[in-house]
Amino acid sequence: MILLESQNYIIQTTLTEKINKPSSLDVQFVDFDGVRFHLSTPERKTSLLLSMHIRCWDELVKYGALDILRREYGVLLLDQAEQEYNVSLDIDLEQIPSDPAAQEAFILSVALFKRNALAAPFERGFKTQKELEASGGAPGELMEIHYRDEEAIYVQASPDRVTVIFSTVFREETDRIFGKVFLQEFVDARRQPSIQNAPQVLYSNRDPPLEIRHLSGLRAADDIGYVTFVLFPRHFLNATVAGSTISHIQLFRDYLHYHIKCSKAYMHSRMRHRVAEFQKVLNRAKTEVATTERKTATGRTLISR
Amino acid sequence: MSNVLRPYLAAVRSTLTAALTLENFASQVVERHNKPEVEAGGSKEVLLNPLTISRNENERVLIEPSVNSIRLSIKIKQADEIERILCHQFTRFMMQRAESFIVLRRKPVQGYDISFLITNTHTETMLKHKIVDFIIQFMEEVDREISEMKLSLNARARIVAESYLTAFNT
Repeated sequence: MILLESQNYIIQTTLTEKINKPSSLDVQFVDFDGVRFHLSTPERKTSLLLSMHIRCWDELVKYGALDILRREYGVLLLDQAEQEYNVSLDIDLEQIPSDPAAQEAFILSVALFKRNALAAPFERGFKTQKELEASGGAPGELMEIHYRDEEAIYVQASPDRVTVIFSTVFREETDRIFGKVFLQEFVDARRQPSIQNAPQVLYSNRDPPLEIRHLSGLRAADDIGYVTFVLFPRHFLNATVAGSTISHIQLFRDYLHYHIKCSKAYMHSRMRHRVAEFQKVLNRAKTEVATTERKTATGRTLISR
Repeated sequence: MSNVLRPYLAAVRSTLTAALTLENFASQVVERHNKPEVEAGGSKEVLLNPLTISRNENERVLIEPSVNSIRLSIKIKQADEIERILCHQFTRFMMQRAESFIVLRRKPVQGYDISFLITNTHTETMLKHKIVDFIIQFMEEVDREISEMKLSLNARARIVAESYLTAFNT
């Protein structure tokens, strides 16, 4: 599994299970970037309430997340969210289409709850780019999404492109160095002819890129990296392409850190193996100690204490 | 083994074999104590001349002999940041398991990456030439292991980047 999936696996499996066999439930779970979910049946077994808490909700609402969620979920979206959560969906299990294909599509769309909420600034960026291309104005508004404590996504539309900037923090020295290797490969990989169409990737360590340099609250430290993706109109040509680009780019940070952790785990298992080999070599040096039972003249066994 | 590495390891091997002439020697300073003199450093007359064998400015071995113990410290090649971190991780991983590597020291001597302390007890309970073999094999393999880990990291990074960017085409 190299690529991460953008749907939530727990929502997907729980819904599939509950459609076949409704029962009361109350589960809380999490997704990437500290997103919390609560899935419960407050009134009856066939009516599920799915609530989501997302750190940057206010910013997302500002960039039109509610419109997107309403478009995706229609009447399912509740006006009043559950307490302690930002947004809620009311799913009536009796109203779900019984046709298997339609049912699967419905479950998938619910499982993409977080992805759809986070898609708002990207969709807005793509729309702004189309308008700017027609009118030829100055670059659009710089949208900030502080989706983690110290990390943020910045999206800005220009007449010919949409720039997406990720800031990411490497907590450890090892992560920082591994991260550098990975990001360097992201920059270099585009030289391959097969991926010439991919968005351009730029990477800077410590210094923020020009687009966001004027923002306040940026920390200049060695453990921060900035990754810039330049999306050209071909990456959001039509709704399908734009949709897959959004799903894909949202998970960039998680993808990068997931693979850094994977490499660390791999190094660890390698070291474990190598150290066991060394241990064997050293054990060869040990001389055999005679372990015969020693007895006194009267026949009693000597026991060393 | 490359031709450059061979004389280096041969020099370490013969020096170490020559230095491993240890005998039981009680402390002259404190009655009924028996400690490795190279670590205690209490009496100068039982310490022998330390010797450094250098392959180049980044790779060297320091051998400090004494009457009842010998300390051997290795500086491992670290060409760049990645090798430095991998070397640090690897030596740390080993030193955390020092009790099972009887001759390994828990901390390296300053300026070196990993240290071994061989006392007269070790040479009495273990075969001397096999201890030397172990240290030589360690030196041989640690470089290879670190460069292999570096290669695998780079290969992984490339695959990860390519599969992420290829997904934009679809």
